[in-house]
Amino acid sequence: MSGAEAERYSRQVRFAPIGAAGQEAIDRASVGVVGLGALGGVMAEQLARAGVGALRLIDRDLVEFSNLHRQTLYDESDARRRLPKAVAAERRLKRINSRTAIQATVDDLNGSNVEGWLEGLDLVMDGLDNFETRFVLNDACRKARIPWIYTAAVGSYGLVMPVVPDGPCLRCVVGNMPAAGSSPTCDTAGVIAPATAALASVAVAAALRRLTGRLAGGDVRLASIDVWSLRFQTLRPEAELRRACPLCEGGRFDYLHTEPVRAITMCGRNAVQLIPGSRSELDLDTLGRSLEVFGPVESNEFLLRCAAEGFELTLFRDGRAIVRGTEEPSVARAVYSRMVGS
Amino acid sequence: MVTVYVPSQLRKYCRGATRFPIAADTVQSALGVLEREHAALYRNLCDETGALRGHLNVFVNADHMRDLDGIDTTLAPGDEVTIVPAVSGG
Repeated sequence: MSGAEAERYSRQVRFAPIGAAGQEAIDRASVGVVGLGALGGVMAEQLARAGVGALRLIDRDLVEFSNLHRQTLYDESDARRRLPKAVAAERRLKRINSRTAIQATVDDLNGSNVEGWLEGLDLVMDGLDNFETRFVLNDACRKARIPWIYTAAVGSYGLVMPVVPDGPCLRCVVGNMPAAGSSPTCDTAGVIAPATAALASVAVAAALRRLTGRLAGGDVRLASIDVWSLRFQTLRPEAELRRACPLCEGGRFDYLHTEPVRAITMCGRNAVQLIPGSRSELDLDTLGRSLEVFGPVESNEFLLRCAAEGFELTLFRDGRAIVRGTEEPSVARAVYSRMVGS
Repeated sequence: MVTVYVPSQLRKYCRGATRFPIAADTVQSALGVLEREHAALYRNLCDETGALRGHLNVFVNADHMRDLDGIDTTLAPGDEVTIVPAVSGG
């Protein structure tokens, strides 16, 4: 590291738990960031500023004006041009730290591409907005023995938990993937920037601890943070959880080898049908109330329908959905994740 | 008395309350009090069979209920019971 580079990181190196050896480890590290919204954007920016050697980014979405209050990597110009977030993020991060090698991909991370995407990474940051991809990531990282940092937010609240090879995984704590619509999304319940920035910062602190050799399985804590009611907790997910986990104890990569939601483009109808891999009955009454934030919701005993952001979403009681307004499966999945959750 | 903390996502089912002081000596009996006194909240915590819904975790002080005695975990005066729902947003 040159004199100028040493000066650049001098305040971070002076922080004793990192030190010169820690900075060298950070410089050598390759870190992936999945999802480049409010969480992933802050994570990627802080990691680039910290001097991470390489950042691998992936996101399937475009920048929109409704992102700008919390997604700090982007500006009005990005939203006007509807740039893919991965493209806009790469440009911005290169201006922040030209020495960090950035590799950005505009795509959906799923069971078919996740293992290749993980190759060579030391750590993965979770900036996702849905459980479906998180459960795929949890399986794939467990299989490759790559640590990742579960991070999620809604409203003023969220959770952070490092998932390391010798500690509990997401499935140990959450169990099986929650049913679609069982938890609110940022689009239905809202979200504020102080929450996402705080949670992403806690996740990056955990990442720096891991990269500098200071976070092993026994150190794992689940941080529960509410910036509005000022309730901060660190909870201990202990070994007992792993003994009941189908992945950690049973070695079952259930989500890696199945496609939880199958997407079928409905030719000539400008619509995509989404079919969950495992059917679970939706609570249409509760979902209907959540979706009222987007406008009027039509419903009957079999389905409900509402429109938002240029798309029309029809949800059936058996979990199927039709997203009208696109023929792109990744766009339809993103609309479903934002409006229903998964 | 123990204190049961309600996560922000579920406060709409109990008129915005963030916590309840409850006289209970196990997690099970604390849920029983919620069933009697805050039925709407209880329906979002437990299914029709009385089992805790899958995406919810319950911690007693800093420890996960499943690392203790599960629903039968005993509570002492002053204990904090925190309901932590899985969160998916970002």
